[in-house]
Order: sequence, then C-alpha cells, then structure tokens
Amino acid sequence: MTINIENEKLQEDTQQVESSRRNFIFGSVAAAGLTVAPGVMLYQTANARSLSEKATSKVRWGMLVDTTKKVDWNKCVDACNKEHGLDNEQHSRDDQKTQYIRVVDVKNKGTGYSMSLPVMCQHCEHPPCVDVCPTGASMKRPDGIVLVDRHTCIGCRYCMMACPYKARSFVHETLTDQTENTPRGKGCVESCNMCVNRVDNGQLPACVEVSDGAIVFGDLNDPQSDVSKLLAKHGGKQIRADLKLNPGVHYQGI
Amino acid sequence: MKKLHFLEVEGNTKGFYTFLGLFGLISLIGVLAAYYMEHNGHWVTGMSNQVIWGTPHVFAIFLIVAASGALNVASISSVFAKTTYKPLARLSGILAMALLAGGLVVLLLDLGRPDRLIVAMTKFNFVSIFTWNIFLYTGFMGIVGIYLWTMMDRPYNNFTKKAGMLAFIWRLILTTGTGSIFGFLIAREAYDAALLAPMFVIMSFSYGLAVFMLVLMASYKYTQRNLGDFLVNRLKNLLGVFVAAVFYFVVVYHLTNLYSTDHREITVFILTNGGIYTFLFWVVQIILGTLLPLILLYGPTGKNRTMIGLASVLIILGGLAQLYVIIIGGQVYPMHLFPGMEVSSSFYDGVVASYAPSLPEFLLGLGGVGVALLLVTVAVAALKFLPASLSDEVANPHSK
Amino acid sequence: MWLHQNFNSFFKSNGLHKLPLTVAGLALIASFNTVNASQDGLGPKITIQESSGKSCVLPSEQMRREHPDLLKHDRVQTLREGVRAQVDGSTLDGSLKQCVNCHAVKDDNNKFVRIDNDQHFCVSCHKYAAVTIDCFQCHRDIPEGSGDFHALSSHKDASYTNVVPGTYSITVKDMANIAPEVGSDDN
Repeated sequence: MTINIENEKLQEDTQQVESSRRNFIFGSVAAAGLTVAPGVMLYQTANARSLSEKATSKVRWGMLVDTTKKVDWNKCVDACNKEHGLDNEQHSRDDQKTQYIRVVDVKNKGTGYSMSLPVMCQHCEHPPCVDVCPTGASMKRPDGIVLVDRHTCIGCRYCMMACPYKARSFVHETLTDQTENTPRGKGCVESCNMCVNRVDNGQLPACVEVSDGAIVFGDLNDPQSDVSKLLAKHGGKQIRADLKLNPGVHYQGI
Repeated sequence: MKKLHFLEVEGNTKGFYTFLGLFGLISLIGVLAAYYMEHNGHWVTGMSNQVIWGTPHVFAIFLIVAASGALNVASISSVFAKTTYKPLARLSGILAMALLAGGLVVLLLDLGRPDRLIVAMTKFNFVSIFTWNIFLYTGFMGIVGIYLWTMMDRPYNNFTKKAGMLAFIWRLILTTGTGSIFGFLIAREAYDAALLAPMFVIMSFSYGLAVFMLVLMASYKYTQRNLGDFLVNRLKNLLGVFVAAVFYFVVVYHLTNLYSTDHREITVFILTNGGIYTFLFWVVQIILGTLLPLILLYGPTGKNRTMIGLASVLIILGGLAQLYVIIIGGQVYPMHLFPGMEVSSSFYDGVVASYAPSLPEFLLGLGGVGVALLLVTVAVAALKFLPASLSDEVANPHSK
Repeated sequence: MWLHQNFNSFFKSNGLHKLPLTVAGLALIASFNTVNASQDGLGPKITIQESSGKSCVLPSEQMRREHPDLLKHDRVQTLREGVRAQVDGSTLDGSLKQCVNCHAVKDDNNKFVRIDNDQHFCVSCHKYAAVTIDCFQCHRDIPEGSGDFHALSSHKDASYTNVVPGTYSITVKDMANIAPEVGSDDN
C-alpha cells in the first residue's frame, strides 16, 4: 500500500471527533436550513424519538390546514420548491414538471363561494400508492409518513395512477444540482414526503414553517399536541374522505 | 379424412427473408425508440404527470390481452375436446407466447428505470397486482411452453389434456390480473369497476382470435399451403360471437356508469363530449370495430377470405381504440377532489388533460408488434407448428 | 450443423484443436508474473482532498471492499426505518452527503469537480473498474455550501491509519484485493 502512516494526526483527530460529535446534528440541521427562511424552529413532541431508534407507530405525523386564514398559499409552494430543489427542469413541458404541493382554487358555481387551499400528498393511513407498488418502493413509514424509496423505484408509475389526489410526479429528464437532502433523479417517481429529514431532526416541514400558523403540524396520536387539540375543538375534514383512506392531512373550512 | 402432417415452413426463400427483415426492422426501430426515450427521459414523449400511461401501454396491453386470447383455439381443442381445432393448437400456443413476449418488451422498455429490472424481479410487494402479474406472465410462458411440448413430443401426447387445462385456467387468471390493473384503482372514475377484469377476459377472446385468424390466413397464403373453408368458417363464426360478447360488456359498463351519479360524468364524457375519445369510441370502436365486422362476418361476404381478413383487421383497430379510450381517456378525465365544484390549479386540476401521442411512443408500441411477429415467423420455420395442409379433406372429420 | 462439422475436421487434422487451450494456459502463467512493484501506475488514480485530519468510517482497504454493502445497509436503515444516528450520538456512518462532503475534490480553479469529471472521487475508481454507479443520478455529487463538515465517526477500535491529502495511484494488486475473499464474512 502506498498510503503514508501518521500516528500523531490520529490522536488529534480522535479528540476533534469527540467534541464535534455533539455539534454534529445541529450542524447538519443548520446546513440543511441554509436554503429556508431564517428562524429555524425546533419542534418538540411528547413522543420525540432519538435518531438512533427506528421510527415507530407511537407517533403519527399529521397536519391541519386552516383554509379560512388569509394566507398566500403560493408561499408554501415556493418554500417547498426551494427546500427540495424543485422546478429545475430544463426540457419538461409544464404538465411534466414536478409539483409536490399545489394551490387549488375551488369555486362553488351555485353559491358563488370560492376559496384556495394547498394540496400535497395526504399521507393516507391506507395509501393506495403503497398497495400498488410492485417493488415496495412506495412505502409508508410506521410514523405515517408516505414516501418513495428511490433506490427501489423502477419508474412504472402505477402509484401515480393509483393516487386519488394526484400527489405523485415523475421525473421526465436528467437532473443535476439536486439539493443535498432531497436526492431526486430521472426515471423515478416522487412526492411530498412531509420534509421527512426536517421532521426527523425536530424541525417543521417547509410549507408549515412559512404558513404563518395556517398549517399546524404535529402528532395526531398525542391528544395534547396542538394539532390534536385543534382537531378536537374545531373538527376537520379530509379531501375525498369517502374513499376511507384516512389521510393524515386535515383541512378546516372545506 | 386425410392424415394430418405438420411441417416446418421453408425458410430459405426470398419471401421468408423479406418477412424476417421487415419484422426485424420494425423491432429494431422499436428498440431504438426505447433507447431514445430512456436516454433523454420521458420528456420526449407525450406522457406527463397527468397522462401517465400512453401509447406504448395501449399497444402493450393489447398484445398481452391478445396473447391470452390467442391460446383460446388450443384450449378449445384440449379442454373442450373439440378435436376439429386440434391441428391449430400448436400455432395457437406459439402465437400466444410470441404476443406476450412482444407486449412485455414494450412494458419493460417504457419503465422509467429499465436498468432496475433485476430489482423488479427480486423485490416483491405481494399486495400489488403488478407483482402477481409478473408471476402470471412468466408462468404463462412456462406453462404454454410445456403445453406445446406435450403436443409436439409424441411420448407426452397423453399429457396434452392436463397441460391444456392448466394453461386455460392460468390464462383466465392472467387476463383477470391484467384487467385488475385498472379495476383495482379506486382513484379514477373510469376504473373503479369490478367489471373491468371479466371485460378484459372477453376482450382477449375477441382480439386474440382476430390476430390468430390473420396470422393463420397470412401464413397459409404466403407459404402456398392449403387452408380449407371448413376451418375458416368455423373460426370466423366464433370470432363474431366474441365480438358481440365484447359489445355486451361495453354496453353494461357504460349503462351502469350512467346510472351511478358517481360515475355518470365519465361515461357522458366518453359518449358525447370527449372530443377525440368520443370519436374513437363511436367511429372506431363501435362502428368500425364491432358493427362492421359483424356484418362482414355474418353477412353475404362471410365466405370471402379477404373480407374475413378485413374484419379481423377492423376488430384489431377497434380493440386498440377501445384500449386507448379506457387507458388514456380514463386518465385525461379529471379526478374530482371537490365534487360539484369548479376547480383549477397549476397542476391541471379540474380540466381535461391534453395528450398527443408522440413518435417515439408509437414506434415503441409498434416495435412490440414487430417482436411478436418476428418470433412467430422464426418459430414456424424452426419447428413443426403448421400443418402442411389444412384443406377440407384433412381438417373436416366428416369428409369422405 | 455444416459449419460446426467443418470447423472440427479442419482443426483436428492439423493438430490445431489444442491451440485454444494452449493459448489460455500461457496467458494464465503470464498473469502470475504481473508487476509486483508497489507502484505500477496501472491502477486508478484517486485524490484525497485537504480535509484537516478527518478519519473515514472504516480503514481504507475495508472501505474499498465493503462500501457497497455499507451503502445498501445504511440506506435501508435511514430511508426506510428513519435511523439517522448511531447509538453513541455520532451520525450514521454512510449518509451519502457525508461521504461527498469529505471526499469532494477541487480542481485547479478551486471548484468542486462534478460527476462527469474523471477526478471525482467515486468516478476515479469506478471508471477504472468499469462498474457504473447510478447514485449520482439522484444524489448531489458535490457538497452544498462549503462542504466543511466535522469528522464522521468515532469508531471505537480505530487503530487504522489516517490518510494524508494527495493523489494516490492504486496498484493493480490493491484493486484485485478488493474482491471479497472466499469464506470471509463480509456482508
């Protein structure tokens, strides 16, 4: 072997490793938060898990979107795009570009009532996209987050056919300059993953953070969490609730 | 009745090489189109996040459905003991395998990541009908292969009936699985129907026999072998029955949708204001693909080979149109997240999506057809699939 | 059939049917005498960047042999199970962005070298070994931001050596050693 041996350096490094270990998690969080709005909030939950443990079903992550609040939902779309490095397609047509979250404008023709709301992956309890994936790439974590394991995705797009909310997108071209925390590439299907690496590190999803409180994120299994208390008080509706998928995303005012 | 004698097609002729070259070229172009799509990404196609499966899937599903239907003739002879069709059983089997191979080639080459085929072959999610289909399709190849072997290897002729029964049951499950790809989806108004699985089975009867008839008549014409009217007439009558059966299912499907307020709009869309999809439904599927062939097959032209061939072609075109309406029409129609409301968004909510087939997609789909025909062409020259003569003296058990 | 028969009779009559075997045998013997020197210049050239004395997850030889399994194992743990840290509080050995941040190579203009450049750390070996990797079709191939991260791990029995920055020529023998030994418990 032609690599030199330097023992003194080894000792120094071990010390450096010890001290920097503590800083590590926060360092990575800070680095990840570089591209998002300042004021990174650390979110605590009663059932917080250590990152060395697997995710369990003790927690069920969910959201309550208050559509009656006067919010420009496009801010959420922009925050999401920035967090995940979306909207960087060069060749794709508009209907081929990825959207994790979109603003839907709804109008009741009969009464004239109109409103807007953000629609993203609803993180169903019984996701049809997970049922139909032939390789198991489309998966639900025990804590309720539905995501695509892009290592196993073969790009058959069956999950896109199956999703009742049209939440999934397919990458139609070669991508470069992905963000560190969201690897994405040609030929795989992707969707909102509730900013899973932010959530794991105690942060809020990007869309929640810029929503000025219009979206409340938390543990649906914990009756003391903000989101559970709000749901208990005001109720909340799920989109296409008749399909009985029990999504984790609830809406107020629809 | 004269004795039945199977004989390989003579391969060393100009005509044979022409067919080989033609089908080979079509297959090659299909593979090149697939490479172009995979290398650049699907942005070069007409498919999008709204219309997820496009022209290649229309072709692929047609080929797969026709494959299981092409086996019908062999099944009738083995399972239902109609020995009249026995001479055709070998061609039926090999055609079924070839069509399935062609369909699968298209499906696999259209994947976003075809390089991950090994992953698809090793990681299985058994809740997914796609996973079951992988086993059904590969199993079909094996079972039909064994079935053919029992037919062609004299010491094993006694097992033909058992192999035939297994193949028959297997292909019914396979086609049910193919129909269930759509039938199991609750998300979209066009698909949320248990009827789709049996409808696909009946469609397979019709398309499979139409393809079989064309291949049969063409191969006997171009090898200048004798194909008597006895067999052709029985087959064309059967074909008419299947076409009518498909029509029955289409009527039931749309009528049921019209009754259910939940699904009424999709049927109204297809039947009246769906633009190209309405045209394809009424003109190509119903008039050209169902009514006209019935007239050609049962009317005064029923004895005319050319007209029978034309009817088969029309049935195939009608079948492609039917799948186009189901697969693509079913996708362009918007999902109703907010029933009764007018919706709009940057992700094409609330509007009928637009889709235009692109050349690479079409060439890939056609390439699958080329692969299937290439395989059959090579097969009939390599082994004894075709009887040397199917004249009435040979085929008709009651002939003097 | 015709071709096969003629081939056989031609070769046998001239005693040449033993030729392929002889050639193979000579080649095998020749291979035993491949360059034995410590530097043969025939292997890939990898660049270890200035990284202020950090240590990798495992010793180099072990890393070379086991990194595919590590990557595969870790991605299942992280992505599918949500485990992002070791029990001792350090990060999980193997988050790909950690590897990239450390092993990123800069070119003469002080810009990070991208995946299409032969100097990219992973490419330098993989191109030589002709093993295509598709990791960077999805993963970012260069660090985001400054890329200056703290050291990765505190492998308890770290008695391995540290690497001094520079460009190294890996010998053919080293490359051959990457193949797992028969009966080893690499997993």
